[in-house]
Amino acid sequence: MDRIRRNKYVIFALVFPGLIIYAFAVLYPIFKSFYYGMTDWKGIGEFNIIGLENYKKVIFEDKVFVTSLINAAVLAICTVLIQHPIAMFFAIIVDKLGGKLESFFRAVLFIPCVISIVVTSKMWVNVFNSSYGLLNKFLDAVHLGFLKHDWLGDQHVALYSVVFVIMWQGFGYAFLIYYSGIKGIPEELFEAGRIDGANSWQQFINITYPMLKPVILVNVSIAITSSLKQMEPIYLMTNGGPGTKTQFVANYLYTQAFTAQKYGYANAIAVVFVVICLITTVVVQKIFKPRDI
Amino acid sequence: MKLFRKGLVFLVAIALLLSMAACGKKASKETSPTPTVSDSTPSTPAEETKEPVTIKFFSNLPDRSSGQGLLEQTILDNYMKENDHITIEIEALQDEPFKQKFQSYVASNNLPDIFNVWGQPAFFEAVMEKGYAAELNPADYASYNFFEGSTTDFSYNGKLYGLPRNQDITTIFINKAIFEENGVKIPGTYGELLQAAKDFRAKGIQPLSINGRDKWILNLFFQDLVIKVSGNQQTIYDASTGKTKFSEDPDIRKAAELFKELVDAGLFQDSFVSADYGAAQNLFLQEQTAMFYMGAWEVGMASNPDNSEHFRENVGLIPFPVVEDGKGKITDVCAWNGGGYAVSASSPVKDEAIKLLNYMMHPDNWPKIGWQQGLVVPGQKYSDYMTGEENVLQVQITDVLNTATSMSGTPWNDFNPGDWKANVENYIQEFAAGITSVDEFLAKLDSAVQ
Amino acid sequence: MAETVSNKHSIRGKIKKKIFRYIQILLCSVLTVGCIFPLIWLINFSLLKANELFGPKFLVWPKNPHWENYRLALTDGKVPQYLVNSVIVAVVSVSLIVILSVMMSYGFKRMRWRLSNVFLNIVLLGFMIPIHATLLSNFITFADLKIQDSYFALIIPYVAFNLPQATFIMSGFMDTIPDAVEESALMDGCSIFRLLFTIVLPILKPAIMTVIITAFLNVWNEFIMAATYLTSDRYRTLPFSVYNFSGMYSSNYSAQFAVMALSAFPSLIAYVILNKHITKGIAAGAVKG
Repeated sequence: MDRIRRNKYVIFALVFPGLIIYAFAVLYPIFKSFYYGMTDWKGIGEFNIIGLENYKKVIFEDKVFVTSLINAAVLAICTVLIQHPIAMFFAIIVDKLGGKLESFFRAVLFIPCVISIVVTSKMWVNVFNSSYGLLNKFLDAVHLGFLKHDWLGDQHVALYSVVFVIMWQGFGYAFLIYYSGIKGIPEELFEAGRIDGANSWQQFINITYPMLKPVILVNVSIAITSSLKQMEPIYLMTNGGPGTKTQFVANYLYTQAFTAQKYGYANAIAVVFVVICLITTVVVQKIFKPRDI
Repeated sequence: MKLFRKGLVFLVAIALLLSMAACGKKASKETSPTPTVSDSTPSTPAEETKEPVTIKFFSNLPDRSSGQGLLEQTILDNYMKENDHITIEIEALQDEPFKQKFQSYVASNNLPDIFNVWGQPAFFEAVMEKGYAAELNPADYASYNFFEGSTTDFSYNGKLYGLPRNQDITTIFINKAIFEENGVKIPGTYGELLQAAKDFRAKGIQPLSINGRDKWILNLFFQDLVIKVSGNQQTIYDASTGKTKFSEDPDIRKAAELFKELVDAGLFQDSFVSADYGAAQNLFLQEQTAMFYMGAWEVGMASNPDNSEHFRENVGLIPFPVVEDGKGKITDVCAWNGGGYAVSASSPVKDEAIKLLNYMMHPDNWPKIGWQQGLVVPGQKYSDYMTGEENVLQVQITDVLNTATSMSGTPWNDFNPGDWKANVENYIQEFAAGITSVDEFLAKLDSAVQ
Repeated sequence: MAETVSNKHSIRGKIKKKIFRYIQILLCSVLTVGCIFPLIWLINFSLLKANELFGPKFLVWPKNPHWENYRLALTDGKVPQYLVNSVIVAVVSVSLIVILSVMMSYGFKRMRWRLSNVFLNIVLLGFMIPIHATLLSNFITFADLKIQDSYFALIIPYVAFNLPQATFIMSGFMDTIPDAVEESALMDGCSIFRLLFTIVLPILKPAIMTVIITAFLNVWNEFIMAATYLTSDRYRTLPFSVYNFSGMYSSNYSAQFAVMALSAFPSLIAYVILNKHITKGIAAGAVKG
């Protein structure tokens, strides 16, 4: 029996098909990118190997690359400090509603998450449109016209508009995770709290928050790593503009390869990007590792 | 056990689907081209090759129901009707995605059989140089009446690799009704343009729509200003090639200042920085803006039945206004031969593709149909096709072209290969969005010159 | 005396509670409106004529809904054709993801070999790798292999990029179930693969549900790979129809809205029908993660 579990052929048959696909489409391209990253290939014709030149440039000289990372940080911070508290707050409220109302709100709040990012991004472009868009019309209607903006074109606002859309789209996930975290807290704890005369805030501080901590940590680390990887909303809404104000790494490397025709350089960005994602994930996990689990 | 059965059903379903997918793939292979006619017999008559041929056509005109896209589609449909064995598979994307996809095709050495190109060094030079485009025989086009010099940018080292389809020229489309109703003078000078911007803004109307998200249009607008200030078509190219400096040329600096003045006066529509082509054009078509800055390839707007009658009756165009103390005349224009077609050198159906190209650009097709249906301003002599029923935009643009005293050639943002284009387009968008000042903008342009 | 006081207390408490509850409901409603109002606006404007978009009203109830937009969406937008492709790609990908992740997790967790943990970690590494970093290389690889422009150009990367998460969920779940049943089945001479499908799969059902749902959502809505790898319409998936159509009808917004609404429709319907399972599945996966 132990023999069966050590059977090399069986192990191979179980693991190999998955591994080969994974290696082919995920690992291999990264090695390939590393190679192209060492060339001056313009995406056309022959090229020269130029060593680590591109990598040095990406890391030490490229200002747009830095902007992209800063934007990712802004997104991560906004997600953690704005989206998550709201999501948690509503998770707590919805949890208390009970019955049909509870399942209704839970279901509806997740709707944006099941719609394709292409649809939602394009939809928001239209909502932000200043001639017929929903947002400016709404502001006019409630006599807040002075708040009207060129939401995706104004250099001071564009990034936050993009950040808002990404948070809007991801809200359902954050909400649902907190919601199920709260559902996982044994009802007796609240019961005991109530008997002790704890008010809502005390209940939150003394029961919900500590019990929810592992979920929060997981949620926050997901938020940080996924902030780094955003591309589609940017590609579809601003393409990094105005200028490079809303550029994100993934979109930047895409435009460097296919618009600026710096294919070698774009591959170098891709590799640095992967390394940054790996480091961030490891660091985030180190910091946020739930100690008691 | 129930789940086991479910699992089994699942597996069978996958197997089925996989085989379906495989079949789909095979089927597509069967229809895909097989014959590779040897190069020594370039023009095999159609009657001999009756085997089915599929030609992949990559276009930058996704709108197949109006303007150039309609023309392209009409001609391709005609060709398929006349040649039963030929199937043309069209992939059409808007400019920016088109360029990105084009680059990825080039990078994988996998270009479609026939494709749109822009006869501009930034786009086409490397493609010609590295042998990705099939060489064309100039003798084939002796009777095609291409305007003189229009094939220059489609040639490399004296060899011809592509054909231009249009005479491109920037222009300001206007809506006369909006001007009249608001008592605004149609601008002939910079000062009047500025005044018009202010007057329209005062009435709550957005003066001019432009697709700032696409960036290149801003470069053209800037070039128009430079031409009208300096009166010398070479000014901007000298700076682009490093002969002079953007930051030191007084005419360029003046143009940048005027550009900024116009932006500050609110000439461009609200959120023009984030408006794409469709968004900008839509505003003009829906008569929300009084003007629309675009190339002459949009003359079809005046004949497109989808546009309202009121719009079609009131649309017109004006050349870019002169600057009061500038040296440029109203007849110094920003014009070039941009869009066109080329054939892939590695196409398995190269000869069929060239035949298709020759058919498309034949004087009876692109220029004649295009002109007579009011869809384009062809890059070939079209005076023979005048019917007297041209739409107003066609008439006016012909006038501008006929009286032009100088033409710019390739737009400056397309003038240098490499990442020049991406850089200067970003810089002008930043400038237009108010992120950079005149000084910073000009300094950045200088930094982009290698 | 004491009783009435506490009664009063509890009545006041009840009223307070009720008010509290209404406030809660009100807050939730506001949020809900924020979440779905843009979608309602989208559907509303998809029924207008192109020139009715402008004007001060942000909701215009159309007297004569302009169904023409939806006709365009169905014909020129090719929504039905893309829908079929989406279904094929999603079903094949998700099936493969489930099967391969179950097999791999079993191989890593239950089989005994020295490098099992190393390989498991290599697969889990995929979690952190951004899809976008592989777009350039994969495009060239697929072109070299001539599988670009086929279902495989989507299915292969979709499977590859969803495997890490799926394997993570599966193997995490496997850790929580004792393998006593498997042991005895193996003792009885059952082969590993029969064991896998008759005994292990049913036990893994909750994890499989989670994997199916998350993978399906990922695959169904994926855009950038579909836009990069595919060239002809024949294999394109639903998210692309919006993108494509916005080029074809670049200045006809209401028609674009119709395509958006239409292409969001299938997943919305599926969600309405399956919403309990979906939310449960996602939550299970997330809390596990």
